[in-house]
Amino acid sequence: MSSIHARGVRKSFGDLEVLRGVDLDVNPGEVLCIVGPSGSGKSTLLRCINLLITPDEGEIYLDNIALTDPHIRPEWVRQQIGMVFQQFNLFTHLSAKKNVMLALRHVKHLDRKKAEATAKAQLGRVGLADKLNAYPAQLSGGQQQRVAIARALAMDPKVILFDEPTSALDPESIQDVLAVMGRLGQEGMTMAVVTHEMGFAKEVADRVIFFDGGRVIEEGSPDEIFERAGHERTQSFMKKILR
Amino acid sequence: MVAVVFGLLFIIELGNLGVYRLSYALSILKPEEQGFWTTLEVVAVILPTGFGLGFLIGWARTTRFVILRGLGSVYVDFFRSMPPIALIFFFYLIGGIELTRAHTNPYLVTTVTLWLGVAALALHTAAYQAEIVRAGILSVPSGQTEAADAVGISRLRTMFVVTLPQAFRLSLPALGNEFSSSIKDTSLLYAIGWTELSGVSYGLASTSFNTGYLYASLIIWLEAAFFYFIVTYIVTRTVRAVEDVYKVPGLEVARQ
Repeated sequence: MSSIHARGVRKSFGDLEVLRGVDLDVNPGEVLCIVGPSGSGKSTLLRCINLLITPDEGEIYLDNIALTDPHIRPEWVRQQIGMVFQQFNLFTHLSAKKNVMLALRHVKHLDRKKAEATAKAQLGRVGLADKLNAYPAQLSGGQQQRVAIARALAMDPKVILFDEPTSALDPESIQDVLAVMGRLGQEGMTMAVVTHEMGFAKEVADRVIFFDGGRVIEEGSPDEIFERAGHERTQSFMKKILR
Repeated sequence: MVAVVFGLLFIIELGNLGVYRLSYALSILKPEEQGFWTTLEVVAVILPTGFGLGFLIGWARTTRFVILRGLGSVYVDFFRSMPPIALIFFFYLIGGIELTRAHTNPYLVTTVTLWLGVAALALHTAAYQAEIVRAGILSVPSGQTEAADAVGISRLRTMFVVTLPQAFRLSLPALGNEFSSSIKDTSLLYAIGWTELSGVSYGLASTSFNTGYLYASLIIWLEAAFFYFIVTYIVTRTVRAVEDVYKVPGLEVARQ
């Protein structure tokens, strides 16, 4: 089981300072939920962790390895850290199976048979064994997101980042996706989840972080953050969303 | 449907006017067919080279490399702003002057300059196709490359396995359009002495006055148009077949 540690991460886009010195830990096997208003920098933070965005300052560690070291290849980092997007981002020209197989073939260089076997196994794991040959446009949002999770899992990542994985889904699909994520958490996957799903956070999260204005405002157990937040900013946000 | 009815009415009307002289129409079929094969030959050169070059330039215009982008942009600006007939003459004349000055065998000069005219058309259509390819690449959502990044696929490989297959599918209708338009541009090659469909037709038309047959020109150009239709039909059908290969279930383009 692996962990993520961010220290003093800063990132600006032009004049806009999006991350203002973020310290963050995702401990081994932990499910960490990150909540906070839109535009607070949550997505940018996740993207800094797998180097989709290069931080201006600060260090990010996967276990003891400094990912921000310039000698480290970003492609290698991204093999270790899976990511699931709000808009699924499945490859629209490929079937579910081939979506999962693509990186296995081109990054892990598995032969077709092995890649296909892995893809089938992972799609089965997210409950889509019967949709192997369906194309993204033929799948519901929830099914697409589960394919995306299978695609991330197939690379055998040490950590998975979820960027509002259910925000684009209908209520029924949300439950399917959350169930898959909950199971992953129980199996001991280290996960950082940006979410507005308070039910999920309460049930599955080991720890919750309230994030606003580019920094961590407060962290604690789900109960502490949702029910007994110490910080005024956290309280007012929770009041709005827990209504 | 409307077009077919119109066509039939047109043919009947021509018959009423006494335009038809079947013997004449048949007598020019042979030279027109020769022209057709020459047109096909020229098209078979222009379309693949124009597409290959257009693809590279279109791609260059979407890369991060400023120099490549700049060169691509200059290329497109230049070749799109030139009338194809002027380009053909530039290539033909400059090539001819230089080769003659170098005391090249006159027969060789003729062959080379004729093909330089063809090259001009290929470079011309490449500029248009570059823009089509660029638009195709830009229309692939950034989430696609981000997802490929996130599973560790390198940028270059992402281009080949994620972006281009999708860009190509999106570009095909526009490419078919440009192909059919550049087929008809080959008719300008008669101006430098090509005896393709238009060259043959001009030749026949200018001698037809001696036959004293008033509507000869009309018959000649109708036949030429018919042969152009065949070339265009072959090419656009081929593009459609390729579209079917690249079709994505659930994302079909509406089609009659």
